[in-house]
Amino acid sequence: MSVVELVKKVLFMEVLQGLALTFRHMVSPSVTRQYPLEKREPFPGSRGLHALVRDAETGKERCVGCGLCAAMCPSQCIHIYTSEGDDHKKIVDRYEIEVLRCVYCALCVEACPYAALTLTDHFEYCGYTRDEFYYTKERLLENWDKYMAGEKGMNYIKNFWRPRSSDFAAPSPERKGP
Amino acid sequence: MPCTQRKLTTGILMNEMKHSPNNNGSRLATKEFTLNMGPQHPATHGVLRLVLDLDGETIVKCTPYVGYLHRGVEKLSENRNYLQILPLTDRLDYISSMSNNIGYCVAVEKLFGIELPERTEYIRTIVSELSRIANHLLWLATHALDIGAMTVFLYCFREREKILDLFERLCGARLTVSYPRIGGLKNDADARWLEDVLAFTDEFPGRVGQYETLINKNRIWLRRTKGVGVISAEDAINWGLSGPTLRGSGVPYDVRTVTQYGMYHKVKWKICTGKNGDIYDRYRVRMDEFHQSNSIIRQCIEQISEGPIMADAPKFTLPPKDRVLSDMEHLIHHFVLITKGPQTAPEGELYVPTEVPKGELGFFFVSDGTGKPYRMRIRSPSFVHVAALPRLCEGELLADIIANIGSIDIVLGECDR
Repeated sequence: MSVVELVKKVLFMEVLQGLALTFRHMVSPSVTRQYPLEKREPFPGSRGLHALVRDAETGKERCVGCGLCAAMCPSQCIHIYTSEGDDHKKIVDRYEIEVLRCVYCALCVEACPYAALTLTDHFEYCGYTRDEFYYTKERLLENWDKYMAGEKGMNYIKNFWRPRSSDFAAPSPERKGP
Repeated sequence: MPCTQRKLTTGILMNEMKHSPNNNGSRLATKEFTLNMGPQHPATHGVLRLVLDLDGETIVKCTPYVGYLHRGVEKLSENRNYLQILPLTDRLDYISSMSNNIGYCVAVEKLFGIELPERTEYIRTIVSELSRIANHLLWLATHALDIGAMTVFLYCFREREKILDLFERLCGARLTVSYPRIGGLKNDADARWLEDVLAFTDEFPGRVGQYETLINKNRIWLRRTKGVGVISAEDAINWGLSGPTLRGSGVPYDVRTVTQYGMYHKVKWKICTGKNGDIYDRYRVRMDEFHQSNSIIRQCIEQISEGPIMADAPKFTLPPKDRVLSDMEHLIHHFVLITKGPQTAPEGELYVPTEVPKGELGFFFVSDGTGKPYRMRIRSPSFVHVAALPRLCEGELLADIIANIGSIDIVLGECDR
């Protein structure tokens, strides 16, 4: 061990360097966010609580009850009950999501051919009973009004309801069919 | 650490010492003592249970018990089609779910024979290296905290937060990302996101320097890590170690150079290795990988060009949404893919390893041609590393077991699956 190393060792140089760094951080601006008091706006497309899209024209749900979201859901938390209407049209009687089982993968949004289901950016919800997290159709539509009304919902569908044709390369001319 | 039922009162010990046949006067007679560590122990990084036979403070025997976090991912995936399994892979190694997703997608794409567009490969490389940095940051933070350096923990989380924010902007989730898709990506990375990643890589090497200032030469850190938990290169290979744990012993093996995936062949990087195979070398390997990953990301952002992000494989990728309701073939594909899975999957078996931050993550598929895997086996690095834990800590001190668990970087979600 050279003299310099010995002096450094005796003087705790490496510890002092570390301390100098932490002291510098003491006077630098804080990066910690005081969460419940200071909230960061979630980024667009953040995957939180579900919402059923309310159609602006009819004022009803856009969902047609095809059941693809329920088929795609890896945790099988979507339940759809349909019946036949007067004009032989399918009516969605019940559309229910067990939110406690959901893993927020957003595969249901991708599976929906009608853009009738979205994940909102609302993520802070809690409750005392399991029933509070059993979302019925009406409650899911309310979520849309609460968290996705106006431009926001349309932007979500535009940007996160994928894939789009623009994501694919143009199909090669020799291939027939899709 | 709760003790198992052994009489430990001083009186009994004294009594045994007096009558012990081994007591020859020169050395105090000792008795082996069994200690149960975990499953609920903050330093085991999850729910790992170790039964330790101790002779004084020396570990005579270490027996890991795993399975407390078993969720049956392999069995669950037999009942789900290839598209639905993706969120399950998030929950293997939940620290770096992006790498797991990519590992799964690469394996399935090799099974189906899908060629990816260049932009997809670049973005995947960028996010998997970001995920590697995030994983090593969390590893360094918790490992340093276990050994007693709390400041490093706070600094590492500062940078990890930035990466998680970048992930949230990209795909909407911070931890369980589910970002890649079979044959492509969930959505494209925009130019502003790439700029912000570049800004992150600008400042990150300086931050690594800060961590190094704190612990690289710190005498407590050196005493806790140097010469502890040594495993030779030969032993490391024989025990099946992989990733930084293997490279710490000086074996230059990295699955990124073996399996063809991502854009690793287009960028310049080197495999970081250690020499002695002790905890310090494994730490150094991961610190060097920070710089390598950082440089890979920068090169990828320089080289990336505009282009499609989904592969041209209509039998395996969901059709474009704007054509689903206007084109009958697309509609049929959409319904069949979601309800039954890809119907033209080739039959056979395939094993594809990828390099996740913890080591070699392999997916083994037995496909019977239906939309679901007949069998999916996951070769997870953590499981193999836990098996090597007795080899690392037997004969060493009780306090070193914490450092050893930290140094092999295990996550029990992946170990127990």
